[in-house]
Amino acid sequence: MLLHLLNRAPSSSPVHQDVLRAMGEEDGLMLIEDGVFGAVSAQVKHFPGLEGRLFALREDLEARGLAGRCDARVIIVDMDGFVALTEDAQRTVSWF
Amino acid sequence: MATTQATRYITVEGRDIGLDPEGFVVDLAAWTPAVAEALAAEEGRELTPEHWEVLEVLRAFYARYENAPAMRPLVKAVSQALGPDKGRSLHLMRLFPDSPAKVGARLAGLPKPTHCL
Amino acid sequence: MSEVSETPHGDLLVILRHAPHGSLWLREALDLALVGAAFGQSVSLLLMGDGVWALLQGQGSGPLGQKGTQSTFEMLEMYDIERLYIDIDALEARGLTRDDLLLPVIEVPAPALSAVLAGHRQIVNF
Repeated sequence: MLLHLLNRAPSSSPVHQDVLRAMGEEDGLMLIEDGVFGAVSAQVKHFPGLEGRLFALREDLEARGLAGRCDARVIIVDMDGFVALTEDAQRTVSWF
Repeated sequence: MATTQATRYITVEGRDIGLDPEGFVVDLAAWTPAVAEALAAEEGRELTPEHWEVLEVLRAFYARYENAPAMRPLVKAVSQALGPDKGRSLHLMRLFPDSPAKVGARLAGLPKPTHCL
Repeated sequence: MSEVSETPHGDLLVILRHAPHGSLWLREALDLALVGAAFGQSVSLLLMGDGVWALLQGQGSGPLGQKGTQSTFEMLEMYDIERLYIDIDALEARGLTRDDLLLPVIEVPAPALSAVLAGHRQIVNF
């Protein structure tokens, strides 16, 4: 399993399309920094088919006032959870 | 790089040739075979026909790729141009002790190779 | 040239997603690939998005004489970097075909992209 890290909002960069195309069926996607704008209900449509493996970093959501707006399909993890996910992954791939 | 400043000069055939802090010729167009001879003499090296054919390979590599080669591509280029007997690390190490890619590039008037140690 | 016919593999995969000239991303990606290869690693490239423009034939230097990256791509074979994977959808989306490209490439359809990533021990994205 690879863990992909995305730090750009789907509304400002098309890079999420490349991530989705490069992801394997078991791979996880972690939204960090401006990537968490993609976790709100109106934007999460940009990440179809990732139920159970789409994550967003709590600290980045809270910093942007998005904690209550995160879609239910996104699994919120804190920094400890993020570290645990990277340990589970064979390797991480950053997209920006 | 064109921005490199000469920190010293070597006089060859009445012309002052600018060198960077590591001894690489600053203005690639200023290089002549006599410059290579002078640089080699400074280091106590003598250039034989076997050295010259490798310097020619280096200059051809730079003309084609705009980069001075690291060791591995230098071996490959020498092998392609001069045959597998000469396209060996050992042969190049014997001709240009220390670091064939760097020493060779300096004598051939090329910039320092960017992709080696 | 061909579709993926063997299992993608290698020590290092460098993903290139930026076009030449507009930024330094492409040059830095190539520098990393060349250094890896100079140290004996088996290196592959994957071109996605605007990275596919980097292989377009007929590039030159910039208006101020800035060096492009075409000659560096041509040099890759001297560093034994011979696996150039390309996202075929990115190519088609830009109206390009492999006949427009400088070098032979391995065309990768979307479902096979993840296998290219999974086949390399290290992945660096530019």
